[in-house]
Amino acid sequence: MDDYPAGSLDHNAPLLVVSGLGTGATKPLLADPDLKEQGILIRSELPPIDGREAKAILHYIQEADATSWPWNPTETTKKYRFKIKTIGREFLLPPRRARLPDDYEVPLSPPVLHSPFSPLSPGSTLYPDGLIDARWLAKHQELIPSICLCFYSLTTDPSLATLHDNRLKTDINAVKHALSQSGHKCRLAVVILSDQAPGAMEPFQERLENIRRSTGLDPKTSLFVLPTKRSEAELEMAADSVLSSVFTQATEYYRDLGRRTRKKRGRGVAPQPTIPPTSGTSHTLSLQGWNVRYDFKAAVFAEFRQDMEAALRSYEQAYESLFGTDVLEMVPSWSPRFNDGRLLADVIAVRILRCLFWTGQSTAAVRRWQAHRYKLSDFLDQRGRGTQNYGWQAWESRWAEVMARLVEKAEFPELEPSSLNLFRAPEKALAAERLQPWEMLHHPGYWYRIAARHTLDRRKLAYSIPEDARKPPDPTVASKMVVNTYNSYDTYMCPEPYEEYPLDGQGTDHAQKAITHLNLAIGEFQRRKQKRLAMEVALESSIELERIKAWKQLLEFLTPVWRVMSFRSENWWNLTEALSWILRKAAAHAGQADLVIAIDWELMNSRYNRRPQWQYDINRSLEGVEVEETPEVSLNDDAITSFLKSSFIFKHGEGRAGQTCPAQLAITSKAISGSAPVVLDEIHVEFEGSLRALHLEHESSSKQLSSEPRAMVVTSPSLTETKLDVATLPDDDSEEAPSAPHIMVLKGHDDLTIAAGQTRVFEVDVPLREAGEGKATSVRVKLAPGAFTLNYTMKLREDNSTGLWYVAPAKRRVTRTNPLSIKVLPRPPKMEVKFVNVLKQYYAGEPIHIEVQLINEEDVDANTKLDVHLYGQDVPHFKAHAEDGSEDKSSAGEGEEAKLDGLTIGKIEASKSAKATVVIDPINRPTAYDLTIKAWYTLVTDPGTHIVQIVAFQLNIVNPFEASYDLVPRLHSEPWPSVFYYEAVRELDDSDGSFSRPRGLAQKWCLVTRFGSFATEDLRVVDLNLQVKGTQGGVVCSASKNQTLPDDGILMAPKTMEEARFDLVAQKLSLDDRNPSTADLEFMIRWRRTSADPASTPNATTFLLDPFYVTVAEPRVLASVYYSVASSPSSPKSTTPATPSFSSASPQIIILDITIENPSSHFLTFGLTMEPSDEFAFSGAKTTSLNVLPVARRTVTYRLMPVVEGGSWIKPQIVVRDKYFQKVLKIIPTEGMKREGDNIMIWVPGQDADDEKGEETSEE
Amino acid sequence: MATAIPAIACLGVIGRNNNPLHTTILPTTTDPQTGRSAPLRTPLQFSLLLSSTLDIFESRARHAVASNTLLSGDFGLLHAVDDRLAAYGFETNTGVKFVAVVDMRGRILSGVKPAGTGGVSSPAVTAYVRLLQNPFYDPEEGAKAGQLQQKRITSRRFAEEMRRIGDKWVPGGVNTL
Repeated sequence: MDDYPAGSLDHNAPLLVVSGLGTGATKPLLADPDLKEQGILIRSELPPIDGREAKAILHYIQEADATSWPWNPTETTKKYRFKIKTIGREFLLPPRRARLPDDYEVPLSPPVLHSPFSPLSPGSTLYPDGLIDARWLAKHQELIPSICLCFYSLTTDPSLATLHDNRLKTDINAVKHALSQSGHKCRLAVVILSDQAPGAMEPFQERLENIRRSTGLDPKTSLFVLPTKRSEAELEMAADSVLSSVFTQATEYYRDLGRRTRKKRGRGVAPQPTIPPTSGTSHTLSLQGWNVRYDFKAAVFAEFRQDMEAALRSYEQAYESLFGTDVLEMVPSWSPRFNDGRLLADVIAVRILRCLFWTGQSTAAVRRWQAHRYKLSDFLDQRGRGTQNYGWQAWESRWAEVMARLVEKAEFPELEPSSLNLFRAPEKALAAERLQPWEMLHHPGYWYRIAARHTLDRRKLAYSIPEDARKPPDPTVASKMVVNTYNSYDTYMCPEPYEEYPLDGQGTDHAQKAITHLNLAIGEFQRRKQKRLAMEVALESSIELERIKAWKQLLEFLTPVWRVMSFRSENWWNLTEALSWILRKAAAHAGQADLVIAIDWELMNSRYNRRPQWQYDINRSLEGVEVEETPEVSLNDDAITSFLKSSFIFKHGEGRAGQTCPAQLAITSKAISGSAPVVLDEIHVEFEGSLRALHLEHESSSKQLSSEPRAMVVTSPSLTETKLDVATLPDDDSEEAPSAPHIMVLKGHDDLTIAAGQTRVFEVDVPLREAGEGKATSVRVKLAPGAFTLNYTMKLREDNSTGLWYVAPAKRRVTRTNPLSIKVLPRPPKMEVKFVNVLKQYYAGEPIHIEVQLINEEDVDANTKLDVHLYGQDVPHFKAHAEDGSEDKSSAGEGEEAKLDGLTIGKIEASKSAKATVVIDPINRPTAYDLTIKAWYTLVTDPGTHIVQIVAFQLNIVNPFEASYDLVPRLHSEPWPSVFYYEAVRELDDSDGSFSRPRGLAQKWCLVTRFGSFATEDLRVVDLNLQVKGTQGGVVCSASKNQTLPDDGILMAPKTMEEARFDLVAQKLSLDDRNPSTADLEFMIRWRRTSADPASTPNATTFLLDPFYVTVAEPRVLASVYYSVASSPSSPKSTTPATPSFSSASPQIIILDITIENPSSHFLTFGLTMEPSDEFAFSGAKTTSLNVLPVARRTVTYRLMPVVEGGSWIKPQIVVRDKYFQKVLKIIPTEGMKREGDNIMIWVPGQDADDEKGEETSEE
Repeated sequence: MATAIPAIACLGVIGRNNNPLHTTILPTTTDPQTGRSAPLRTPLQFSLLLSSTLDIFESRARHAVASNTLLSGDFGLLHAVDDRLAAYGFETNTGVKFVAVVDMRGRILSGVKPAGTGGVSSPAVTAYVRLLQNPFYDPEEGAKAGQLQQKRITSRRFAEEMRRIGDKWVPGGVNTL
């Protein structure tokens, strides 16, 4: 479209000249120097308005410029359409009349002068017989404004008002006059800006009225007052309304011009030129020619008015006349006017198309487009140089491109890329007709593609130009003949043949032209998601790139297409092939070795057509390609499907660890027959799960496989397990890489040559190591012929097809579905793990020894290790050691689980056994644990396979003993400190360094424990012990054993009870501290099993006791008793304390001491009453009063003589009463006494009743 | 004056996975050198042309899903490649697509006005159904493997039938087939 003269095809909008707003320099409208000289200056003397508002208005008006608007009526938010030019205060109008040529002799009658753009004026390019040209269009579009919009400001200063207004009036009148003098019918519109608000304009009305009257401007159409003191939006609205009313004026202006044109046409005579033509032909423009001119003008003016239908009618009329009689057909084809006429025809046709688009008649437009093509082709065939030449194809290409541009400019909403529509439905008027498919207006991509195709046709024709026409004309020989040969080519808007396709040098770059169009088309197709069509066009484009040898560009352009093309995934092999060959050529030229290899690799597949004279040998792929370094190419069959097909099959669906499973890897070559055999360097089979990767390496064999390639070859290479450094692996995507420095692979060697059409089957025995699912996932083959390295990965796909097991020589047998995977079952362990010497019951407090025996029932020696796990709450530590004691390991872990891994047992010979012992630290409470022993072993014959045997054992731990306790008071034998012994008191005072020595009151207790055996067997109690673990309340407490055990301890049968007594002496640290205090006690039983070694350390079962009160602050009454022989009652020495071992004969006198302790700081008085009884006689106070000082104790002694038989209890009734509180104090019995109700009871020893008494004595 | 009327230039059957199943190319123009009738484009160009219609099948299918319109049968005009060639499409319920590329000036007919373009799909579909009735023909063969190619139609009878449809077809003349 750019080939046409500027402005000839553009949509016309009224020209509006805005004056007086901008201060900056503006481009002058009139640039032609010749016309400028004669131009008419329109000038305003007043300075331009400056200021923010003026700028805002100017900006808004400039925004409204319609030059770049789409060519459709949808932009109807504004009622006007202007081409806007901003000037300062002056501009030039073109001259109304042309000047006479200088050398012209002035005739007698004055000559009739015409416009300088008319064919009548001798100075015009059209003189004498041209039709019309773009200069006339430019005159109206660029030079002569329809409206001259002048901006002035209104001063508010009352003192300057009159002066200003007068100057304003003068200026407006001057401009008005200048315009009318120019001969053009431009209209003047004046806008007076006032810096007032719209409401405050009242005072100025009179002045404005004055201006209006004296300038003769109409306030409705040509004089506008614009108060600027308002918001921007309002200001824009006001400017908008000004432009709207001015637009009406503009349409009026163009209507007038149109009317004048019609009037001229109506005259029906061809006007005579100013001077009759004398040079060349004396042909002047015919009447029909004038009609074309007038119709065209009328149409353009209608377009200015935006009246597209009227424009369309006039254009059609002009077009008809142009091809009618007496216009173009009269012009000889060698005349330059012939091409001018064609240009005009094109311009009219384009404008007709635009008008049709404007009115939504897209299908009519396509028809019109076709019609113009046919018309012109017919016309050229009859009158011109025919259509079998490059010039016609050049025009065809241009004509298609013009349509594309027009469709783009029209911006049909139906053809927006987002709508994804490819073509527009026909307009209603034509919808009922039978339409050709092409008559639906397709989007520009299709049109660009046609343009490109015609360019290629043009090249074809250009290449057929004979050589003598391609010689540049010799300027010295101005032979008429030569000119004629040149003239036999259609050079309308395209170069002469010697420029189009010169003998030497660069001619027209057809390929580049085509590529430009094709790329535009690709863009359009891609925007509408026509990716396959875009690819098709890309292919066309790349053929052109190939032709111009733009390899780099071609690579950049085609490589992404090649990588993802849907042709390949959708099996359009011929398309894939076509594209690949082009790309390969480019890659080979550009030295893209990897691409060359990849394409060669792909194209070796027999589904592609064989390329004649092509060497199908991947090893020689890089011949003739310049490479800098050995390329390494990685391909996979997701992207590129090559000729190798692999399958893998396990013969069995299940196998056991330690065994092997036969498997077959089959690689079939579907290479083009006759291609060189492929020698694979390596084949790797990757597995998922517990299987090891399989590596086959090439080893050329002596057998000549290639001489007579059989359709199928089955070989069975043997495999060895090899450690492979991960670092040396080509692809280091192994997840195990950080943890394992090397991995194990199965390695084998074989001849890996595969001929075209051959199936190579590798039968291998895959050793199964670990249990679990195993699955072959991918096969990677590596080629390394030296020039390059190629890795090609094929995924093994799981499909429903049954696997094939190949049996040599050529038979195949269907085996099973899902042949890629195998289930590896664990190897059954033949190692027996037994617990030996298990005890019936384990007790708290004893270390637990568990012996494990491992019996190897395998046929061969086994290297064994043990894992020991202990689960439960607060698991204790444990140790384990093997029988030979070589290793002694401790457990790790706390809380729920402790474990000990990898205890080496060592080699156990076949059918021999080994032992290990687990020692668990003593546990102090009953609980339960799970002990799991896992024996790992490998056989010496197969060190790769681990076999596992697991045995679990439940440990129940119970307490061997339960105990209950009583704490009973005793009378402390030492006297209480007395306030009267000042020595003791002083000792208290001056012994500073002995704070730790207790000086408080001491009290004595007896702890009676009864413990029973809860064990299931006899236990020997070796020792009993009571320990004070701690005290609270400032007290010192010591415990001592009351009795001793036999040397060999007590043998306790299950469910028997024993009693033990301990003395407990508590003494307050300070005398002043009289708070009660407690002690925490721990009772420990040391024992061992009867079966245990007497020398071994006894086990200890400890019981923690609840805290006991060991000192009390309240007064208490303690009763104690002595037995005395009656003969010496007065001798206290002969008395013996009441002990269980007491065994004297017939005690006669019982001495009863009632001791009242007063640890409080009060002076207390007690009343003591002893009731007489039938059971005994007594001496002592029957009723007495007893004063007890603070922190003191007093003892009242009674002597009783029982009158009952020995071996029974007597019950003295003594009441101790606090005199002050009138409260009876309880009498607490001590050794040898017991309590019944509130009373104490005293044993009267009989002859042989000591044992009985000893057992029954019970005190509270 | 002789009038050019439309004629079928190419008939294509495209499988469910957009894979080509069958292509028949018919001569619709004359070779300027030999004067013999020849196809308008090369087989490669026709392949590209058939492939490019898949874009439109896809786009229409998407549109149909979006607007929830019933999608089956005649797609009508897919697009016109230029002023001579236009592609018409039909898709069966099983996703097999039939594309007829019509050359708008494919046949010279003296004096008779063309009656417009009529359907070509139904006889082609009938031929395809006849092919499917052959118990030895498995349309899904090889398709399950995904990557592996689906077989092209190799039936000679089907090819002949397609050629006959292409030859006999005249605009609006469905009943004559």
